[in-house]
Amino acid sequence: METKDKIIVDGVSFFYSSNRVIDNVNAKFKTHTLTAITGPSGQGKSTLLGMFNGMWNDTPGARCTGEIQIRLGGRWVSPLKKEIPMPLLRRKVAMIFQEPNPLPMSIAKNMAFPLKLAGIRDKNIVQEKVQRALEQSFLWKEVKGRLEESALNLSGGQKQRLCIARALVLEPEILLCDEPTSSLDAKAAGVIEELLVSLKSNCTLLVVSHYMDQVRRIGDQVMALEDQGLKRI
Amino acid sequence: MSNTKEIIARNVFFLSAIASAVMILAILVLMIALGIPLFKAGNFLAIWTGPWAPHKGLYGIWPMISGTLWIALLATALCMPLSLGASFVITSLGGPRLRRMLGTMVRFMTGIPTVIYGFVGIFLLVPLVREGIGGPGMCVLTAGMVLAILISPTMILFVTDSLLAVDLSYVQAAKALGANRVQRLLYVMVPRATGGMAAGIILALGRALGDTLIALMLAGNAIQAPRALLEPARTLTAHVALVKAADFDSLEFRSIFACGIVLYLFATTATVAVRVMLRKREVPT
Repeated sequence: METKDKIIVDGVSFFYSSNRVIDNVNAKFKTHTLTAITGPSGQGKSTLLGMFNGMWNDTPGARCTGEIQIRLGGRWVSPLKKEIPMPLLRRKVAMIFQEPNPLPMSIAKNMAFPLKLAGIRDKNIVQEKVQRALEQSFLWKEVKGRLEESALNLSGGQKQRLCIARALVLEPEILLCDEPTSSLDAKAAGVIEELLVSLKSNCTLLVVSHYMDQVRRIGDQVMALEDQGLKRI
Repeated sequence: MSNTKEIIARNVFFLSAIASAVMILAILVLMIALGIPLFKAGNFLAIWTGPWAPHKGLYGIWPMISGTLWIALLATALCMPLSLGASFVITSLGGPRLRRMLGTMVRFMTGIPTVIYGFVGIFLLVPLVREGIGGPGMCVLTAGMVLAILISPTMILFVTDSLLAVDLSYVQAAKALGANRVQRLLYVMVPRATGGMAAGIILALGRALGDTLIALMLAGNAIQAPRALLEPARTLTAHVALVKAADFDSLEFRSIFACGIVLYLFATTATVAVRVMLRKREVPT
């Protein structure tokens, strides 16, 4: 397994209006690893994740300093300098959220949505990619007979796995997970943990979590965002 | 104690609601009652579908109904691209400064007196239409164009509100999946806001149907059912304003109550349609 650097964070600070949310963060994240980021609430963990795929770009009052370099397809790009179009960056640096957010449409349409956005419309390719992503997310067996049903009818854990599958359908190089298990029960959370660990062979994962036992269980490296800085623990 | 207050409050609100409903129904009853001499005077159906020729004893308001529909529908049709475009820019396509600027401008537009729009129409648009396209200038087209601008804030504010009411988590999900602003708007926001958007369009149509001054100043007020955009027309509201000075006991004067009933029905239909559309908005698709 190659262990080259995937993301380099160099002296990054984030300001929201006049408030400094993150102060001078330095870190390196290796490729095909799972880095778990923990720390108290309000320290900017979610904000930090959002900086890697430009989620804050359109937010009035949001401002970043420092440098982030991400190696995508063998080329280093800087999301802060917008060296890559943001939609393209987000297809390569996918993100899932604390609350599962399937769109109010069928499971099949949810899965095909990112492909539609990327301009992939060939039915065979779409079908193949959708099935592969659902299999990777341990969801295929549960939904293969009801792909036309509304995604909103799935259980909480299934919804989150659907969101992970939907993020994987475009084969991202990095998967950002913002507290992906915090809204789930222990059993569903266990399945998601197992799933995230299994995805290391496909991509680099950064997982924000409140639960110390969880981060130690799943993380190849564990970092804590405290007092506005990121420290390895 | 708080229980007593709640009971009093509930009853007061209930009585207020009843009073409003009674007043609305009373207005309809009053219009029908005051229009009875006209309804009894001749062919009842001809009042709604016949021509207006008081010297021949014909008091049909069809030319006014037709003029109202022509101008209001044209105004709504012209207003739609303008307002939908503005709403899309305000909600998602524009940068923060442009959004703020446009939003402020639209709110400012709601405060401009109608007569100002009328002046602009008379002194700018009427000569332009007359010289540039032909016809008398004061016509369905001129009134429709100015009315389109007048009703646009209603449509923009309602459509904007509907788009902004779309669950943010859907928009965030699409953004994280690589949707650009246009894709987020077209694939996520618009499909979830169609009910509210349609309600905004109907509300603007209702506003156009009920406007008096623009049609009075710019439509030419000819009592004829228009057959082309460059022909003059008279709307129901303009007719009410113009005939009001006639003798109270004359059938000519009584025709304003027939106009009122038609406007009442238009308004009721628009309100019911808006309610249906808004109920549709609440159902997840």
